[in-house]
Amino acid sequence: ALLPYVPRVPPTALPGKVTATTFALEMPCCVFDGHANASDAVWLVVAFANASDAFRNPPSRDDVPPYERLPTAHSYMTLETAAAAYACPAPSPAVLRVGGDTACGGEGGRDPCNGPLPSPGPYRVKFLVMGCHGPKAETRWSDPILLRRAASPSTIDPAPARRDSAPVVVASILASLGAALAAAVLGAVGAEAWGSLCRRDPGNGAFAHRSYRTHHIPPALPQPLPPGCGCSPPGLGCFAPRRPGPCPAE
Amino acid sequence: MAKSDDGIRILQGLLVFGNVVIGMCGIALTAECIFFVSDPHGLYPLLEATENDDIYAAAWIGIFVGFALFALSILGIVAVIKSNRTLLLVYIILMLITYAFEMASCITAATQRDFLTPNLFLKQMLERYNKSEADNNNDKWMTEGVTKTWDKLMLQNQCCGVHGASDWQDYTSAFRRTHSDADYPWPRNCCIMNAQGSPINLDGCKLGVPGYYNSNGCYDAISGPMNTHAWGVAWFGFAILCWTFFVLLGTMFYWSRVEY
Repeated sequence: ALLPYVPRVPPTALPGKVTATTFALEMPCCVFDGHANASDAVWLVVAFANASDAFRNPPSRDDVPPYERLPTAHSYMTLETAAAAYACPAPSPAVLRVGGDTACGGEGGRDPCNGPLPSPGPYRVKFLVMGCHGPKAETRWSDPILLRRAASPSTIDPAPARRDSAPVVVASILASLGAALAAAVLGAVGAEAWGSLCRRDPGNGAFAHRSYRTHHIPPALPQPLPPGCGCSPPGLGCFAPRRPGPCPAE
Repeated sequence: MAKSDDGIRILQGLLVFGNVVIGMCGIALTAECIFFVSDPHGLYPLLEATENDDIYAAAWIGIFVGFALFALSILGIVAVIKSNRTLLLVYIILMLITYAFEMASCITAATQRDFLTPNLFLKQMLERYNKSEADNNNDKWMTEGVTKTWDKLMLQNQCCGVHGASDWQDYTSAFRRTHSDADYPWPRNCCIMNAQGSPINLDGCKLGVPGYYNSNGCYDAISGPMNTHAWGVAWFGFAILCWTFFVLLGTMFYWSRVEY
């Protein structure tokens, strides 16, 4: 029996619903009610999108294509689950993850393996109900599911998108301040050196620092002659005039 | 005479005040740069692996410049109060040298900020996180640093990847070479962990169900501290240099007016 249900990737925004080797599917809850007994097995058929039309349902469980034959048969069946697991009401988890089992896929295993998908696809899936005597019901094929292809990190360009102007402003202001300072120092030192070579006396406007104290020694003025001095030449001291001695008697 | 004496006194007072401010700013700059160099967020290995850790060099210069500014400001105060020409000249020359170093630190820190783009860290994370083969010892050291830092970042900041968990799906990586896409769509540390350090729902985390994995990107947790670091060194240094410019001009004017 062909059921009208179309399997699909869940529409919710989950970053891991489609990866490079796995994808998630909505659980087909309540889809098989009335078409499958509780003991029947529901399989998931995964096929390359271009090989889905050529897929023929296997007549019995022994003819189920295993995971290892995907490269040659271009399809496999996996996720064998009892039909009771999809009965209403919806159990948890609400999604099926295809390709999530990395431990299986050994040589010659008969158990269904839900191994990672080897290539990006695209793939198409459908659910198939297998009873004791062969396939009993199936859903429609899904839309093609394309897995992610990752880019190489060497394509990432770490250069900044646009150059900020603030560092340029800072650099130019600082450079001009520094140049102005250097020029001022050179100018001041140069002016001092020039000044001390050309001029001996301090320039106008310089204030005298208080460490200097001039001791003013006035030059000596000529002292007035003491009374009674004769006309002796100055500097030789002053002699008291000798009274003329009594004139010698005649 | 009294008028110009007053003017000189005012200039002396202003210069002493200017030097006090420079001294305090020098101490603050040293403290700020020591804080940055101590790397409280543990992000230095990421910078080291970019092979361009100039903002750390700028911070190191800032430590020594701050200390030099403090010492020189004391010298300046002594020189201005004593009005000693030689001391003033020594002060001016040493201050100019310190000025030049601080200019270099400031410009380096300002220009480096542009360099820290999300793509830079994304490329580094993809190429180095959990890289198994190393080219040489230096490469091995940088790889281990990046891996440990990212593990710690993802756990502490509850984030995954640079823009988000899809970074690990959009690009191949060194991580992808050793961890299969089916088991590890993104690193384990992107999952929300319980108290014992294991994911609370591994399947939910692998699918990307909200509540079981970290959906935020880590770029804010990386660029926030680094930008603070770069801008802190750059703008504070710029402010100190502008102030020092005026103090130095005043000191040079004072020096030219002092008699021997």
